Amino acid sequence: MTQNIIFIQVHERPGVIEAQVIEAATLGDVRKAIEAVGVVLEAEMQIFLDEAEEPLHGDHGHVVHGLRHGSRVHVTRCKRIKTTVHYLERTAEHEFAPGARVRAVKAWAAHTFKVSPKDAAEHVLQICKSTERPAADTPLHELVHGHPCALCFDFVPEKRVEG
Amino acid sequence: MNAPLPPDRVLFELDLTAPAFRCGEIEGRWRHLSTTWPHAVFSLAAPPRPGAPEQFEFLFNCSGYRATPTSAQPWDHAANRPLPGARWPTGPKIVSSVFRPEWKNGQCLYLPCDRMSIEGHPNWCNEHPSRLWQPERGIICYLEQLHGLFFDSDYSGVRGA
Repeated sequence: MTQNIIFIQVHERPGVIEAQVIEAATLGDVRKAIEAVGVVLEAEMQIFLDEAEEPLHGDHGHVVHGLRHGSRVHVTRCKRIKTTVHYLERTAEHEFAPGARVRAVKAWAAHTFKVSPKDAAEHVLQICKSTERPAADTPLHELVHGHPCALCFDFVPEKRVEG
Repeated sequence: MNAPLPPDRVLFELDLTAPAFRCGEIEGRWRHLSTTWPHAVFSLAAPPRPGAPEQFEFLFNCSGYRATPTSAQPWDHAANRPLPGARWPTGPKIVSSVFRPEWKNGQCLYLPCDRMSIEGHPNWCNEHPSRLWQPERGIICYLEQLHGLFFDSDYSGVRGA
């Protein structure tokens, strides 16, 4: 039977865990795969697939639509992540799905602050009060530490490497 | 009897099987093409631009991995030789500051995570902390930066286009 590799990311647990599920996996199969790698699915935890807006739900026997080879499965306590972005003197907020990538936040910020594509290409998102600039492919819930389902970024110019 | 692999190569091979690396491979961000220790060739996907390839290849020097940063050189894998300067990636501001064929004869990229370039640039530790080599993440931190330059910066194609 054909197997798909999935990558599991768990709330407050660093790194990615590789697992396998059958091609037309059900919600029950996905839950079993998560538990098989040592993750305890507590009652308040939600399972999100890739960048989906809503968590997986329904009967355990239902096939999970959209699951593909290489899908990311997010196990999180956050149903949404309240994201604040500061740009110059302005601030904006938006709620993203836990699996949304940093790239999606940047695109939203550029649109919200009316930053041209050319200027946006020369800006990056930096986590507030830090020097951390997560890669654009990073899912948001990987960056959330502690229980508040919230993130804060500064939208700052990228400096040329010089000197 | 085969000689045991040196520790730096053991760590490198281990990282090629790590989920974070495989995730990037399956998502089509990068691919490991070959290893002739201490060198390894990777290809990095690039977005479509007129006259530019869909991927760029890089020869990494991985000796001393992971404690020592790697160094990457744009590479023509089929011809097994350095990529000519006219075929290096470029962009109006950020990407062109990293891909500089004239810097150290094109043997490395002008990035703080690059072993050859960080030498003599102690100021980069304060100016570009997010671009430094991270020993705990190894090759992933360099590959992520290259991918970010192609997809999330001002990459516009190749110099000679």
